[in-house]
Amino acid sequence: MHPAIEISGLTKRYGEGDAAVDALKGVDMIVQPGEVVGLIGPSGSGKSTLLKCLGAVIEPTAGRMALAGEAIYDHGWKVADLRALRRDRIGFVFQAPYLIPFLDVTDNVALLPMLAGMPNGKARDRARQMLAALDVGHRAQAQVAQLSGGEQQRVAIARALVNQPPIILADEPTAPLDSERALTVIRILNEMAQRFGTAIIVVTHDEKIIPTFRRIYHIRDGRTYEEAGEARAA
Amino acid sequence: MINLAGRDILHGWGKFVFTGVGLGLLIGVTLSMAGIYRGLVDDGQALLGIGGADLWVVQRDTLGPYAEPSNVRDDAYRALLGVRGVAEAGNVTYLTMQVQHQGGDVRVMLVGFEPGHPGEPGNLVAGRPITRSHYEAIADERTGFRLDERIRIRRHEYTVVGLTRRTVSSGGDPMLFVPLQDAQEVQFLKDNDALVNERARTAANPAFNRPGVPGLLEAVQASQASSRTVNVVMLRLAPYTDETVVAREIRRWKHLEAYTRADMEEILIAKLIATSAKQIFMFLVILSVVSAAIVAFIIYTMTLNKVREIAVLKLIGARNRTIAGMILQQGLGLGAIGFIVGKTAATLWAPIFPKYVLLLPGDAVLGAALVMAICALASIVAIRAALRIDPAAAIGG
Ligand SMILES: Nc1ncnc2c1ncn2[C@@H]1O[C@H](COP(=O)(O)OP(=O)(O)OP(=O)(O)O)[C@@H](O)[C@H]1O
Ligand SMILES: [Mg+2]
Repeated sequence: MHPAIEISGLTKRYGEGDAAVDALKGVDMIVQPGEVVGLIGPSGSGKSTLLKCLGAVIEPTAGRMALAGEAIYDHGWKVADLRALRRDRIGFVFQAPYLIPFLDVTDNVALLPMLAGMPNGKARDRARQMLAALDVGHRAQAQVAQLSGGEQQRVAIARALVNQPPIILADEPTAPLDSERALTVIRILNEMAQRFGTAIIVVTHDEKIIPTFRRIYHIRDGRTYEEAGEARAA
Repeated sequence: MINLAGRDILHGWGKFVFTGVGLGLLIGVTLSMAGIYRGLVDDGQALLGIGGADLWVVQRDTLGPYAEPSNVRDDAYRALLGVRGVAEAGNVTYLTMQVQHQGGDVRVMLVGFEPGHPGEPGNLVAGRPITRSHYEAIADERTGFRLDERIRIRRHEYTVVGLTRRTVSSGGDPMLFVPLQDAQEVQFLKDNDALVNERARTAANPAFNRPGVPGLLEAVQASQASSRTVNVVMLRLAPYTDETVVAREIRRWKHLEAYTRADMEEILIAKLIATSAKQIFMFLVILSVVSAAIVAFIIYTMTLNKVREIAVLKLIGARNRTIAGMILQQGLGLGAIGFIVGKTAATLWAPIFPKYVLLLPGDAVLGAALVMAICALASIVAIRAALRIDPAAAIGG
């Protein structure tokens, strides 16, 4: 079986000439399906940049990246439809939930399968199931503004999961939450990884949740170093 | 797929509706402007319809009687009746004046006509035509006069026996119709002082005030008590007569100017109200530009307030088409609300205008199309901004 994510020698340069910033200087990473890995590093080390490259939101400058064995970027070559790739294969969770305020909770989640062409009724059923799995099923009819921060974050996770993408990218998903809620979110992500075989990368600064990762990538000055969680704990 | 534009509007409908109403009032003003222009033209046409004339005979080298002063001797009609094809002739005078009414002044156009001849107002909305040759009047509704009301014009009292509608001068003054001789007297007796003055001058003239000739002074003064001119002679032609031929005949032999209905329309609409029309047209252009700018601005700010949502939509794979469609629909929605409010407002406030406002369905359709086109165009600015939003912005640093 192919790794869910496989990148090698990935670089990203922002800008040109004197103003150029080399945010990624050569990143190697392998994540297997069903794995939840942490990505930690100081501010400005390139965490968000790496996540954006992985999420097909920005293009790397050089290097190779494959998802489930299929090349996405390969030394300047890239797949044609990055938008469809994002829609079908990647789920995003951000620091803030960024729900759409003019849609109710169900439709915030159902929007994704709808965008992929699923009929409204079926998409809403799927959304309700996912909301129930995340313990916010009872808030399915609510407006976004009526939810607590933790509930919003769980809705955002439901949205990331609803299309059952093979990959979920989370950028500081626990930052606004207290430690109990933060651990709940990580527990949910772990459950989902196990249930659906999703590969999950979590960027974090959060000391409380770092021990929960079995594997951690450190990133410093645009380069990654791998560390096993247990080894670190020992 | 759910309708994102509709959901967004419903979510903040108060703001949206208020904006739509504001825009609507502006559109209402624009439609009223168009209506005022149409009203001017229509008033002009209605003016030509009063009296049922086929030809207007006026003083030579003038554009009378509405666009320039014109004076024709009041016996010229006899000669005109002799022209081939002329069936009827009627003398008509016009004088704009103030008439006292209920403690205030009403500005009217006093029209003198000969009952039973061209120049007589048709289509009374109430009352009856004038039957006596003195001191009866027919008034346009807009004068505010009522049937059987007695009104004072200079030295005499008149009884209102009939009412008309849409009989106004090209300046918008409602008409007051009186028998020709009364009107000529009014025209001559500009006021009491002038009359007394005139009499004194005549009396002071030794040629008229001769001790040896009793009654001469009185006779002279009586002869001066009325005007001998009219402003236009209206002609009605025999059936199947070519009006242009008759007009040419009159111009050649009678030392008078004769205008056909087409000539009069040209004078009234192309010359007399052309400047007003241009003025109104300028207003229309400016209002349209202002409306467009407002719509563009509103849609643009509405879109910029949703940068985060749009970035998220793009990130989760919404097509550019979906996002552009959302903004365009909101623009058109705003236009639709605006148009409905504007049309309603224009219709409601049209009767309050002192002059006739004619709201043509065709203008409304054109206006709706224009509003929609402007809103679509205005959305383009916002759509361009939305398409430039980077999905990476949703992830942040
Ligand atoms: N759009 C951009 N244009 C230019 N430089 C950028 C851009 N985005 C990031 N950078 C630079 O690239 C480097 C890595 O940024 P990145 O956002 O990946 O850091 P980070 O690890 O996510 O930091 P933080 O923990 O503060 O979020 C930084 O030096 C940053 O200034
Ligand atoms: Mg970051």
